[in-house]
Order: sequence, then structure tokens, then C-alpha cells
Amino acid sequence: MVLGSTLLDFVMEEQNKGPGRELSFVVGGEVNIRQDPWWWLVVAVAAIIGLLVILWPVPFRDIVVFARDGVLVTVLVTIASYFLMVIVGLLGGLGRISRNKFIFGISSLYVEVVRGIPLLVQLIGWYFVSPVIIQKLGLWLNLQSLVEYRANPIITAIVAITICYGAYMSEIVRSGIQSVPRGQMEAARSLGMSHFQAMRHVVLPQAFRVILPPMGNEFVSLLKDSSLVSVVAVADLTRRGREFMAAHFNPIETWLMVALLYLIMTIIAARVVSYIEKRSKYERY
Amino acid sequence: MAGPIIQIKDVRKRFGRVEALRGVSLDVNEGEVVVIVGPSGSGKTTLLRCINRLEEYEEGTIVVDGMTLDNTNNINAIRSEVGMVFQSFNLFAHLTALQNLVLAQRTVRKRSREEAEKVARALLAKVGIPEKAKAHPAQLSGGQQQRVAIARALAMNPKIMLFDEPTSALDPEMIKEVLDVMTSLAKEGMTMVVVSHEMGFARAAADRVIFMDEGLIIEQATPQEFFENPREERTRLFLSKILHL
Repeated sequence: MVLGSTLLDFVMEEQNKGPGRELSFVVGGEVNIRQDPWWWLVVAVAAIIGLLVILWPVPFRDIVVFARDGVLVTVLVTIASYFLMVIVGLLGGLGRISRNKFIFGISSLYVEVVRGIPLLVQLIGWYFVSPVIIQKLGLWLNLQSLVEYRANPIITAIVAITICYGAYMSEIVRSGIQSVPRGQMEAARSLGMSHFQAMRHVVLPQAFRVILPPMGNEFVSLLKDSSLVSVVAVADLTRRGREFMAAHFNPIETWLMVALLYLIMTIIAARVVSYIEKRSKYERY
Repeated sequence: MAGPIIQIKDVRKRFGRVEALRGVSLDVNEGEVVVIVGPSGSGKTTLLRCINRLEEYEEGTIVVDGMTLDNTNNINAIRSEVGMVFQSFNLFAHLTALQNLVLAQRTVRKRSREEAEKVARALLAKVGIPEKAKAHPAQLSGGQQQRVAIARALAMNPKIMLFDEPTSALDPEMIKEVLDVMTSLAKEGMTMVVVSHEMGFARAAADRVIFMDEGLIIEQATPQEFFENPREERTRLFLSKILHL
């Protein structure tokens, strides 16, 4: 219980410090356990994982060793799709506020359709449909390399997640841009700046601060949803866990460890997100 | 320059069913200070916003500094010659006062950082708040924000300044500091079109006062004539309401 009470102490202490304290969170510009008590949760989860591995190497150490490449795949899929989906979301969000009816129509259709289909269904769909499309394209263009195309699970998974999350991101970007008062754009335009310049220098920087928290949430959600890629033959953490369980018949220990490994990744991500948020808040004033 | 710097001919503008401007013609000469007054909904703000095409109009023509406002001319080039000051200041919230003045100089006028900052500091001094260069808009009072906004427009070296009710959103004790800046600008010979309810400013600084109602110019005259001897019945009615006679 020592750890638990320390955590509580820190939370209480932090609350007692009052609003004046918040600014000093970031002055040093480095991640510091003393300044953000929730880092103790990260320490606690890491300690539990460590204890389990040391005290019961069989099966916990075996699970970690077996699934470590799965962790890497999960991280790779998450970061790659996050990066791409932010780009898609930026374009989609700009499309959703476009005055050009064609661009607005296309991006709205994309958002509405993709948001209405479960990610799992999209993943399976792309996995089976995309090779057929590419092979047909190969036949049509008479390109042998395309005809022999077989689905690459990881790339398919990244593309599917990017398309799905890009739709949600589009709406986040759209709402962020629309939260910036109209007068900001008008003032920039009245000074002779082009629409693009006004967007880039005036509207988007302000929208970015608004969308930072939901963007952070998207990262944590994406990390968790990346477990769905295990159904399309990507050897991520979840799939490696299933393989280990099938070989050793110990579902309770396996899924406990898999859950802890996901948890440590998500809470670290959440801490980093909150750190960035606090930093950007500070810069505002 | 030959002829008026702003030529507005028979401009019409409607918002849905409402006709905001019903054929307005107005010439403004270089160096002239024109104050437009009128009840709310009379179209005075709309007319002002048409002059730099923040509002598009259906009929008529507007020529600014020899350039016709239509799709054939580069609207950004015209706007960079026409400074605009808004009722709600519209300072860029994420930038400091200095950066507010520098941004358009860099992106539109393509000035170097050193030159832009030099201009910016000189203008902040001119509007009386050189010490606020590093402050963000949220840290400034309304009067200070509006003075920064005026300086931001001046940083582009505009030939014309448009003011859209620049003191309407201010607390009473801050109105004077903004009007003082505007008055000194008028004395320097800046061409100004001002929509305002500040009759004191109109009396002191205007060359011409224009009264608008229901999308039309009803009367225009020198301040003295306008306030002391208005010709139109509607002008008299309006003045009696706002001057508490």
C-alpha cells in the first residue's frame, strides 16, 4: 500500500498548490514526476509488470519475451497511422469548410460514410477488397507485378486505420477552425493577406490550440484500437498474446500481462499529451 | 492624384430579402475625413465593408485609388492600401502586440524582420503604448487593443483608413485615448472614412458628415452645417435622439 498512499499524497499535494502553481509546471521544459503526480501511475504499473516478471518468470517473463515484437508492431502501426491520419484530417477538415461545393461534397461524403462503418469491418474489408482491386487494375493495365499482388497486412492495416481515423480527425479540425472567430480571418484579409496566408499564420495556429486535447485523445484511442489489426494477420501485441495463450493454455496470465502492457503504453501517451497541452497553454500568455 | 481617391457609384447590396444598400454614391478626396452616422441598420457599416470588399455588392462600382473593385484586379493589393479598424479590434489572439504589427508587413509587404519590427515599434510609440510590445491581446485593455489595431493597419502604410465603429465596444473611460489617436491621424492628412456615433469626434475632426438611413445617403454637409442647420427632417429626428436635445 506504500505506493498507493504516495500516489494519493501527491495528488492531494498538487491540488493544494492552487492555480498559481500551474505556470511553473512547464518553466523547466522537462517531464518531471514531481510536477505531474500522474507519472506515479506509470511508475506503479511499470513496477507491477516488473514484479510479475521477476517473481513468476513462468509464464510472465515468457509472455513478455514472446510478445515483445508484437509491442513493436503495435507501436509502429499506431505511430504510422497517427501521422498519416493527422494529414488526412487536416485536408478533410479544410475540405469540410471549403466554399468549393465539389471539395465540400467529397470531404463530407467521406466523413459521413467512414464514420458510419465500424473500424473492424473496414479493416477486414480493405484486407480482402484491396488485393482484388489492385489485381484487376494490374490485368487492365497489363502489369504483371500488380496481378501478383498479395495483401501486405501491416500496410493494409495502416491504410485502413488512417482512412477511418482521418474522418474523425477531419471533424476535429473543422470544429477547431470554426472555433476561431470570423473577425480573425477578416482582419488578416483586410491587411492584404491571401486566404492561404491568413489560414496559415492566423487561423490554424489558433485552431491548433483548441484541437490539441482531442488530438491527444485520438492518439490514445488509436493505440487501443490498433488491437483490431490482429484480425487481419498483423502480429501485433494482441495477436501475439493469442498465439501464446493457444500454445500454453494460460488465458488469465496471458491477458493480464497483455492488458498491463497496453495500459503502460496508454498512460505514458496520456502523460505526454497532457504535458504538451500544458506547455501550449503557457505559451498563450 | 486626379479625382477622388474613393469613388462609389450607385452601389446596391442585399442580404437575402433585406436591401442594405439601395444605390449609394459617394466620392472621398485624398486627405479628407468623412464621418458616416446613422441609426443601426442604415447600411453604414455595410458600405464601409464594401470599400475593401469584405462585403460583395451586386450592383454599382467602387474605384479605390484608381483600381476598380472587381475580379479583374488583385483584391489583396487593394486591401494592403486600405487599412481597416474593426469594432471588436480583431487582434490576432495568439501573437504579441509587436507580432500583430509585424505579420502582414512580412507576408504582404515582404519587409525584412528588422525593418518590420522597427516600423512596428515606432507605431506602438506613436499610439502611446511602446511598453506593451510583448503583451498578448488578452493582457491589454480594450482601449490599448484598439490602439494596437490602428497601429497594425498603419504599419502597411495605407493610403486610406476605414474605421468601423472603433469606440463602440469600449468602456467610456477608454474612448478618448482611441479618439485622440484618430484625431492626430486626421491632422496628419490621412484619408479617413469613419463610421461612428462619436459626435464630438465628427465635430472636431471631420471635413464632411454623412447621414445614412435605410440604405441611402440622406444628407451630407460640413460638421458645422450638419449639426447646427440640418436640412432633412430625418436628420433632425436622428440628431434630436442622439444629442439628447
